[in-house]
Amino acid sequence: MSGARILVVDDERQILRALQTSLRGAGYEVETAETAETALAAAAMRPPEAVILDLVLPDGTGTEVVRELRTWSSAPVIVLSAVGDEHEKVAALDAGADDYVTKPVGIDELIARLRAALRRVTPSGEPVLTIGELELDLEKRELRVDGKPVHLTPHQFDLLRVLARNEGKLLTHRTILQEVWGPGYGSESNLLHVHVSQLRRKIEPDPTRPRYLLTEPGAGYRLVDPAGR
Amino acid sequence: MSSSRTAGVLAGAALVAAVTGLIFLLRDHVPVLGLSVLYLLAVLPAAVLWGLADAVLVSVASMLTFNFFFLPPVHTLSLEDSSNWLALGVFLVTSIVVSELAARSRRRANESTLLAEIAASLLEQRDLSGDLDRIAAEAAPALQVERVSIVVGDDLPRSAGERHPLLTGGRRVGTIVLEQPRRGSAAARRRLLPALASLLGVAIDRERLAREALDAETLRRSDAAKTAILRAVSHDLRSPLMAILTSASALARTDLALDQDDQRELVATIRGEAERLDRVIGNLLDLSRLQAGAAQPEPEVWPVDELVTQALGRLGQPGGRVKVELPDEALAVRVDAQQIESVLVNLLENALKYSPEAEPVRVQLALTPDRVLVRIVDHGPGVASQDRERIFEPFQRAGGGARGAGLGLAIARGFAEANDATVWAESRPGQGATFVLALPAARV
Repeated sequence: MSGARILVVDDERQILRALQTSLRGAGYEVETAETAETALAAAAMRPPEAVILDLVLPDGTGTEVVRELRTWSSAPVIVLSAVGDEHEKVAALDAGADDYVTKPVGIDELIARLRAALRRVTPSGEPVLTIGELELDLEKRELRVDGKPVHLTPHQFDLLRVLARNEGKLLTHRTILQEVWGPGYGSESNLLHVHVSQLRRKIEPDPTRPRYLLTEPGAGYRLVDPAGR
Repeated sequence: MSSSRTAGVLAGAALVAAVTGLIFLLRDHVPVLGLSVLYLLAVLPAAVLWGLADAVLVSVASMLTFNFFFLPPVHTLSLEDSSNWLALGVFLVTSIVVSELAARSRRRANESTLLAEIAASLLEQRDLSGDLDRIAAEAAPALQVERVSIVVGDDLPRSAGERHPLLTGGRRVGTIVLEQPRRGSAAARRRLLPALASLLGVAIDRERLAREALDAETLRRSDAAKTAILRAVSHDLRSPLMAILTSASALARTDLALDQDDQRELVATIRGEAERLDRVIGNLLDLSRLQAGAAQPEPEVWPVDELVTQALGRLGQPGGRVKVELPDEALAVRVDAQQIESVLVNLLENALKYSPEAEPVRVQLALTPDRVLVRIVDHGPGVASQDRERIFEPFQRAGGGARGAGLGLAIARGFAEANDATVWAESRPGQGATFVLALPAARV
């Protein structure tokens, strides 16, 4: 989806300029903002198709921008975080950011994430989701791996469904727990870790070297198509 | 001492006289020999208030008075009936025994009070060392020794006196030293010392624990400060790195449509940010040198515009936005050129950072009788009055937030002061900030 309009928000002018030049070279249309306020104003004026957002801004946090943006826009947001910002990073993801990269990051990684985020479309009404060799029939609540049926417990199935519907997107522990177990959940990460490890045994060719269900340390999980990476 | 002694004798005499008067009133109704027991009313207060020796004196005085006034022949100390001698003897023995019992219970009460007071004062959370001397002074009379000293620590103090360990959980935490005990006073010490020693042991140990807790807290706080500093510094290092990495990786890709201008700009960013990184590292070293007091200036006479020119050179390309308003004549200052250039670089970098990109930063030079003023005027958001001093502290930035270490202004002030110069911020709301550097003027 080259030509997409990207809003880049960072208070370091030099970073902003480097990103602007590079992303423009990659075929994107780039707008920039240095503060939370100007970012929200720019987004309202010309809604971007994706946002690259620094977590620490002079007049607020990236999390606040995400929260505000999410009230009217579903454009993917990639957060730029630094080591030491872990809590803020998870807060931004919980608030609705789609992904994060850790500073300093090369343009290759950033473009790859941006492409993945833009490719991700809102889940269709299709009853069968196919990711690599995984075939998930949402109506019959059945899973086939490599064509062979695999039995899942109800929680395992719901976990896989939530991840598969958000293929490629990083989901935080809190988001997954609330989607699968209900709104009363959010901090029971252990529960989630156990189910993820059980699920891996059923979907991964080698559960110790997962290719589908990836761990994002300190943040959450994402389900990817190994061939698409 | 003698006046209280006199008062004691008078009080004793008054007690004896009062009881004698009472017996006079009662002797027509009660056999007079039986009334002699009333003198215990005089003996007991003496025993409780002044101790055994005085009680014995009062007993003897009572016996003689009773004999003189009531036993025939009255008004003499001799006795008609020799069996009365026996009665007086029984009285004397009784009163002495009662006195001894009373005096002992008084001592015990005093000891209990002393222990209670010591316990109370030890339980109050205070500095123990002052308390220990006071407690030692209070305990000396009760222990019936000339001098008591309390020594903290597990070393055995050198002393000629009796040394008793203060133990807690089997560990020696201190020693109580008793010097020159009075004769026949061992019983008092046997009674009092174990309780006193365990009280002191607990108090000393508790103070040690409190101190250790404080040390741990201090350590934790300095750890938190270090974490904050590391975070701030890593932001300052990572921002230029991010710009370099982004630019370099963009240049390395063959699939990006970058024209010559784009490529030139990316290369310029890499160079500029590498220089900025170098300045950040230089600032960190400068700050540690300043804080260690190792920044000895080597002052020489310099034209101030030369220093400004050098500083602009060190700033590189971003310095292009700085407009210098040169005066007609050269202004000379006496400073360490390297250090004052550092001050100027940091002040200019700060002004450029906070100014909108389209606005220039101005440098104005002026002379006062003994100072050369360098004014650096920006068009940024300005500095709120409550932040005007704080921003010169390391790891502080106006408005708070976690945006980097903000070492530049701290270094500027550090080097300025080392060179007998001053630096301060002036600001009017909405009109940007002016940083003024006042350098010592030199005659050319």
